[in-house]
Amino acid sequence: MTSLATEAPMASPVAEPLRPIAVEMTGVDKWYGTFQALKGIDLTVRKGEKIVICGPSGSGKSTLIRCINRLEPHDKGTITVNGIELDGSPGRTQDVRLECGMVFQQFNLFPHLTILENCMLAPRLGRGVAKEQAEAIARRYLERVRIGEQAMKYPSQLSGGQQQRVAIARALCMEPRIMLFDEPTSALDPEMIKEVLQVMEDLAAEGMTMICVTHEMGFARRVANRCVFMDKGEIVEEATAEDFFGNPDSDRLKQFLAQILH
Amino acid sequence: MNISTADFWGYVGQMLDGAVVTIQLFMSGFTLALVFGVAIGIITLSRNIVIQAVWRVYASIIMGVPSLLIIFLLYYGGSAMLRGLFGNNLYVDVTPFGAGLAALTIVYAAYVAELVHGAVRNLPRGQFEACAALAIRPVSAWRHVIMPQLARLALPGLVNIWLIVLKDTPLVSLAGLNDLVANAKIAAGATKEPFVFFIAASLFFVVASALTMPLSNWLERRFARGLQRVKA
Ligand SMILES: Nc1ncnc2c1ncn2[C@@H]1O[C@H](COP(=O)(O)OP(=O)(O)O)[C@@H](O)[C@H]1O
Ligand SMILES: [Mg+2]
Repeated sequence: MTSLATEAPMASPVAEPLRPIAVEMTGVDKWYGTFQALKGIDLTVRKGEKIVICGPSGSGKSTLIRCINRLEPHDKGTITVNGIELDGSPGRTQDVRLECGMVFQQFNLFPHLTILENCMLAPRLGRGVAKEQAEAIARRYLERVRIGEQAMKYPSQLSGGQQQRVAIARALCMEPRIMLFDEPTSALDPEMIKEVLQVMEDLAAEGMTMICVTHEMGFARRVANRCVFMDKGEIVEEATAEDFFGNPDSDRLKQFLAQILH
Repeated sequence: MNISTADFWGYVGQMLDGAVVTIQLFMSGFTLALVFGVAIGIITLSRNIVIQAVWRVYASIIMGVPSLLIIFLLYYGGSAMLRGLFGNNLYVDVTPFGAGLAALTIVYAAYVAELVHGAVRNLPRGQFEACAALAIRPVSAWRHVIMPQLARLALPGLVNIWLIVLKDTPLVSLAGLNDLVANAKIAAGATKEPFVFFIAASLFFVVASALTMPLSNWLERRFARGLQRVKA
């Protein structure tokens, strides 16, 4: 029955009132030339939720997350971030980027600036924060990621894990409401993965809204409210971490899990 | 020696005057080429087809035509060109210095622009993306993040261009500029002492190039802050 189907979500018991929506994507398509990287993506993320996105290489995970802060423009559908719709206007794009912090696989720290300067630059330029205040904010977040004593060093003097923690601190210095992570531990040596995941878990515990592309299944189980599986530009399956790993629905996800867990 | 000491010192004085002209032309030419070259290099990163077409034509002319011809073109044809551009009632006296300066600027701005393109291509895309994700506006991103890194990437190439401009500067003497080389030629002819004056002029260029080394090393150290891998 169609009427039943449409009413079903409203009728479902709600333990606590639904939180406001942080990110909403509806029917999002993305093309690179003639190649379609995203196909009709629908995704809703509420404030404080932690979403883990995984899927095989080339499935469009990075593209999806990069559309949220418009590092890539989408071609169809709507993306709304904290009530701001990304319509291509520079003003909206800027506003959305002020809402979102992003952490990249390759860290992308500014190599010619010290750790402290890396963290102070965006607040100074983007938010017009005074120098002393920007430094205080930077030092506070560097302490939070447990790297305060390295503030005067340059990125090349730090290990990969330390650099990624600086990158997280740098993003936090803009005091974003949402954090986007694109495979933050994939470029790290195994012994450094834990320190970065720990920082991310601390952040999750503080209530940050987080969207993480990662294959760290332990992290996903401990932190994620929902896991999203992507393949060939589509969201194939979306479930709680428990169901996602314990009781996968689709064959594609089963295959994928078998590969990464073996 | 065939001439009196007084005459000899007269020619030496003339050569010093010439050296001053050479230094002025070289310094102003290099500076203008650097400023225009960086601007052109950044503007022509645009994918706009008109900008690209203009750049292609400009670059292929500059890379193909000898600098000497461009100096002659600007010196002998400069007045006519300016009249064509700004109207017939304008009378401008194109001096050898002016023509030479314009030629060095036009030629070496193209090389500097090429250098900027290469440096931008070598800069990881992630640097631009990190700026965008941090809501740093493009102008600020260029000023605080991109340009300092381009400067380091482009420095060795810039030193090269600096040395080539230095050696190209005497070409302007062929348009009648009384620079170091022109005055050396006069002195050599008048005194029948070619070795003395030409070797003196050569020494000037050797010393000038040699001074480049400490300068470029110093700049390199300055720009390399934080960029060298620390050896474990
Ligand atoms: N800038 C681009 N130009 C063309 N194709 C791209 C570009 N970026 C990504 N792609 C393609 O889009 C697909 C999805 O890429 P991506 O989102 O990076 O996947 P994932 O992060 O899941 O590995 C891949 O097939 C990739 O080759
Ligand atoms: Mg990716």
